[in-house]
Amino acid sequence: MGKHLEENSKDKFIFDTSAFLSIESIYLLDTVTDLFSIITTLSVLRELENFARHEDRLGIIAKRVLLKRNRFFLKEAAITERLEYVSSIDEELFNFAFNENITLITDDLKLLRHTTGKIKRGFSTYFLTDFVYAGMFTKEEALVKLEEMRDIRDWQENIIYLSTKGVLENIED
Amino acid sequence: MQTEQMNIRLSQDLVQDLDVVSGLLKVNRSEWVKTKLAEEIHREKNRLLMELSTLYAKGMITKQNVEELVGTEIAEEMEFIKKTAIESAKMGAEHGKTFRGKLKR
Repeated sequence: MGKHLEENSKDKFIFDTSAFLSIESIYLLDTVTDLFSIITTLSVLRELENFARHEDRLGIIAKRVLLKRNRFFLKEAAITERLEYVSSIDEELFNFAFNENITLITDDLKLLRHTTGKIKRGFSTYFLTDFVYAGMFTKEEALVKLEEMRDIRDWQENIIYLSTKGVLENIED
Repeated sequence: MQTEQMNIRLSQDLVQDLDVVSGLLKVNRSEWVKTKLAEEIHREKNRLLMELSTLYAKGMITKQNVEELVGTEIAEEMEFIKKTAIESAKMGAEHGKTFRGKLKR
């Protein structure tokens, strides 16, 4: 699997658990994995399996992600750069993104905060503006997807939603 | 967990109702009140922060306004999330522009 990843020319992204759940919540994981090489770790897979044990909304989404596990790449990362205040799972993701210079997609605020200025990283909303500029989504379609993604929200997700909405609305047709 | 004692005076009617509830549920009334209070405080805090975050994300209030209302920690969190969300969207846009070129090839 690793060899295959190195050989393909698709753009690469590394996903944590929250990224998989957010992207699949709006049924975008198939498209994203068709277009890009999505990398994750075994620990993230274990977290998704834990989510999948529950019959709630996130559990159902996690089950859908796991059914697509042959669509993304599992990699191990040696921890050479320590990252304080985050779990070993996040530290591994950070190291992979750091060593391979790959953008980390996560909605985990703690991970985002502690990786500021160290790696390229973004919220899962990244792909909405990406697809609009790539000509795959209209602005309106991206806004609908963004609203769907906002479904289970707290005040923090509300800021992500409104800030992304602002950027999307300002895209010239 | 550190605790702090608060003294609240309740009407006799309310105490009687509380006795009925705790009797029927067979739970300690103080524990029941604590649980319900925690649930309500969490819900109300989230609701109010949601309103505040809407005003902040829309640029209707500043970080300083947020800081005055709820303190530095939440104000900085809001600023960080807003900045990161805008950066993410712009990074995605940049990637989309180059990716469009690849798709055409």
